[in-house]
Amino acid sequence: MSAEPSMPLNEATVEARGVHRGFFGNPVLKGVDIALRPGRVHALLGENGAGKSTLINLLSGALLPHAGEVIVDGGSVSRFSPEAARRAGIAVVQQELSLVSELSIAENIGLGAYPRRFGLVDYGALAEGVEQVCRLVGIQENRGTPISALPLGRRQMVEIAKALFRRPRVLILDEPTSSLSAHEAGVLADLVLRLRDEGLAVLYISHRLNEVLALCSHVTVLKDGVVTADRSLAGVSPDELVRLMVGRDAEHLFPSWSPVAGKEIVRLEGFCAGSARDVSFHARRGEVVGVGGLVGQGQEDFLQGLYGAVAARAEAVSIAGSASLPKSVEAANALGIAYVPADRKRESLVLTHSIAINLALPSIGRLARGWSRSRHAEAELVSDLSARLAIKGDPARPVQALSGGNQQKVALAKWLPLKPAILLLNDPTRGVDLDTKREIYRMLRALAADGTLVVLMSSDTPELVHLCDRVYVFREGRVSGVLAHGTISEEAIVGAALGLPERKAA
Amino acid sequence: MNRSLVTRVAAHPWVLTLVLVALVWIVAGFTLRGFGSWGHLRYLLELSAVIGIVAAGQTLVVIAGGIDLSVGAVMTVSAILLPLLSPADDPTGLAGIGATLAIATGIGILNGAGAAYLRVPPIIMTLAMATFLQGLLIIVAGGSAVSVSNPAVIWLGSARPLGLPAGVILWILVSAATLYALHRTPFGARLMAIGANPIASRLSGLAVDRASVRLYSASGFLAGVAGILLLGMNRQGYAGIGDPYLLSSIAAVVLGGTSILGGRGTYAGTVPGAILLVTSTALITVVNASPGWRSIMFGSLILALLLVSGREARR
Repeated sequence: MSAEPSMPLNEATVEARGVHRGFFGNPVLKGVDIALRPGRVHALLGENGAGKSTLINLLSGALLPHAGEVIVDGGSVSRFSPEAARRAGIAVVQQELSLVSELSIAENIGLGAYPRRFGLVDYGALAEGVEQVCRLVGIQENRGTPISALPLGRRQMVEIAKALFRRPRVLILDEPTSSLSAHEAGVLADLVLRLRDEGLAVLYISHRLNEVLALCSHVTVLKDGVVTADRSLAGVSPDELVRLMVGRDAEHLFPSWSPVAGKEIVRLEGFCAGSARDVSFHARRGEVVGVGGLVGQGQEDFLQGLYGAVAARAEAVSIAGSASLPKSVEAANALGIAYVPADRKRESLVLTHSIAINLALPSIGRLARGWSRSRHAEAELVSDLSARLAIKGDPARPVQALSGGNQQKVALAKWLPLKPAILLLNDPTRGVDLDTKREIYRMLRALAADGTLVVLMSSDTPELVHLCDRVYVFREGRVSGVLAHGTISEEAIVGAALGLPERKAA
Repeated sequence: MNRSLVTRVAAHPWVLTLVLVALVWIVAGFTLRGFGSWGHLRYLLELSAVIGIVAAGQTLVVIAGGIDLSVGAVMTVSAILLPLLSPADDPTGLAGIGATLAIATGIGILNGAGAAYLRVPPIIMTLAMATFLQGLLIIVAGGSAVSVSNPAVIWLGSARPLGLPAGVILWILVSAATLYALHRTPFGARLMAIGANPIASRLSGLAVDRASVRLYSASGFLAGVAGILLLGMNRQGYAGIGDPYLLSSIAAVVLGGTSILGGRGTYAGTVPGAILLVTSTALITVVNASPGWRSIMFGSLILALLLVSGREARR
C-alpha cells in the first residue's frame, strides 16, 4: 500500500500558485494551484484538453504563466526558464520521445549533460553515470546500441534513464507506461516507489487509473483549466475519480433531434488498420455514430482505413454496397465515402489557393465537359456552397485568409456536392469558435436526417454525448465499449476510455 | 491607377518577364546594329523554341512540386536515336519520329513511376535516369556524331511556312496545348493543388500517383520533341547536344514566375522566360569575351534576372 507518511508536510520543492495561461486569447489554465512535495507521488488527472500538458510546460519552464507564479523551494522565480527548471532539478519525461535515433543509448542518456574534461567529452565518466542509471531502470542492452534499434517500450525506459542521469529532485512522468509492456511497467512502478522513498517529488500523469491508485498518494484533477480536486487518494474509488474528471454543464450548443435509423450501410468484423485492431463495427444510414476515447488509441487509423488512405483488412466487410474495403481514396470517393481530416492546414486544404478552388477540387472532374473545365458550373457550385454554409469572404481570396471556423466549413463543404453516403469526420470542431461549432452540429444532424451515415470521431466528449446515436469507444486500438442511445454519458465514455469494467446503465 | 497596375503585375510575375523581354529587345534594337532586323529576331525565336518546348514539360513538373533533371539527356537520346530509328524506305520520315517520341515518353513514364510508386525523390530519380541514359548513349553511339537524313526532321529544322520557322510554329502549337492543359482542364487544376499540398490533394481524392506518371511522361515527350527540333536545326546529333538545355529549361520556368516549390505558376511566363534567356546569351556573345568568361557572365546573368523577376515571395 502506498501509505503517505503521516508526518507534517514537507515544503514543496516546486509549486505553481494561481497560474493562468492561454493561447491566442483562448484560456487553457485559469488559476491553477499545484504543489509537488518531496517523498510523494502526485497524480495529475484530466480529460483531453483539460490543460495537463500546459501545466507540465509551466512547471518545466517551457512556457511562462500569464499570471500567477512558480515557486521553487519556497522562493518565487520571476522568469522560470527551462534553464532555471534544470537548475532547480526538475526533469520531465515527455510523451513524445525526445531521443536522437542515430545516437547510442549512452550518448542519448548523457545528451546535453556530458561530463567534460579539458573541454572534451569525458567518456569514462559518462559511461560510469550511464551504467548507474541503466541498472536503475533495468536496461540490459549494450550501451552502444543505437536508439533506432530499440523497440518503443525500451526507448521509453532510456528516456526515463536520461531524466534520472541529471539527478533530479522533481521527476515529471507524462504517460510513461503508454508504450511499455506489463513487465516494463512493473519495473517502472518499483522504480517510482524507490525514488519516492529516496525523497524525490514525482508528478505522475496517466490515464490508467489502476496505476494511479497503486502508485500515487495525492491527486490533482484538472477540468477545463480549473482544479476540481486536490486531495489525498486514500479511500478514493475509480468511479469517484472519473466523476471528478467530467461533469460539466451541457451547453446549449446542440440541436435537438430524434433517431431515424435507416438501412444498414456498414458492417465490419475483425477490421484492422494501422494501430486499430480487430474492430467490429456496424451502422445505419441516418445515424450519427461517435468514435471516442483518449487521443491516439487507433481512432484515426480506423477512419483512414475505411477511407482507403491507410492499408486495412477485415474478416467480413459490407460497406456502401461493396463487399470489400476501398483500396484507395478514389475508390472510397466512388463508393460515396468522404473524409474530413483533423489537421485542416496540412491534410484538408490547399492553403495558398483560393476558397473557390478548394471548394471545387473534388468536383472539378465531374463538372468538366469533355476535356475542359466548366468555369460556369464551378462558379455556380462555389456560390451555392458558400451560401449554404454561410462562408464569408470573396471566393477568389486564398483560403488561408479565413478564420479557423470558416476554413473548417470549406473543408466540410467541398464534400457536399458528392452527396456522400458515409461522411467520416476527424475532430471537426477542434480550434473552431462556438458559433461555427453550432452550425457544424446542426449540419451533421441535417445530413443524417437526409440519410447520410455520419461517423464523428471527437476528442470533445460532450459532442459525443449530445450529438450521437451510438458511440464506439477505443482503447489501445480496440473497441472497449459501444454505448447505445440512452446510455451515453461522459462518465460512461471516460470509463470505457480508461478501461474500467462497464457498468449497467440505470 | 498606378498603384493598381503595380499590384496587378506583382500578382502576375509573368507579366514582368514579358515587360523585361520587350525592354531588352527595344534597347538592344536601338543600340546594336543588326539586332533589330527581322532575320535576327527570327533566329532568336527559333533558338527560344527549343528551350520553350523542353521547358513546357518542365513547367508542368515544377508546378506539381517535382523537377525533371533528365530532360537534357532525353533530348540527346532523341537526337542520336532518331537517325538510327528512321527506316530508309520511309519517304515521310514520320515513322522515325514516332519511334523516337515513344522512347522519350517511355523514359518519362519510368521517371514518373519511380517517383510515384517507388517513392524515389524526383530529383534523385531523374538525375539517375540522366546518368543512366548518358552511359547507354556512349555504348550505342560511341563518341561519334550522327547525321540526319530524315526528311521530316530536316523540314522541321529549315522550312518557313508563312514566313515563320517551322520550329517556331511548332512552339506556338505546344504553347497553346500547354496553356490549355494547365488552365482549362481538370488535370491542370489538380497539378496546382498537388504541387501546393500533396497530402490534402490525396485525401481530397486526387489520383496523385497517376498524375505524376502522366506529368513526367509529358515532360519526356516534350523533351523528345525539343531534341528532334534541335537535331533538325543542327543536322547532326552527338553526345552532350542536349546538356545545356537542362539548366535553361529550369531557368526559363523560374524566370517566368513559376514557384520552384510548386503549386503556383503558368507557362505564360515560361515563354518570355525562354526568349529572355536566349536574348541574354546572344548579347553576351556580342561582347568579345573568352568562352570561360561568357559562361561566368551567363551564370551571373541568370542569377541577376532571378533576383529581379523570379524571386520566391516570402510565405
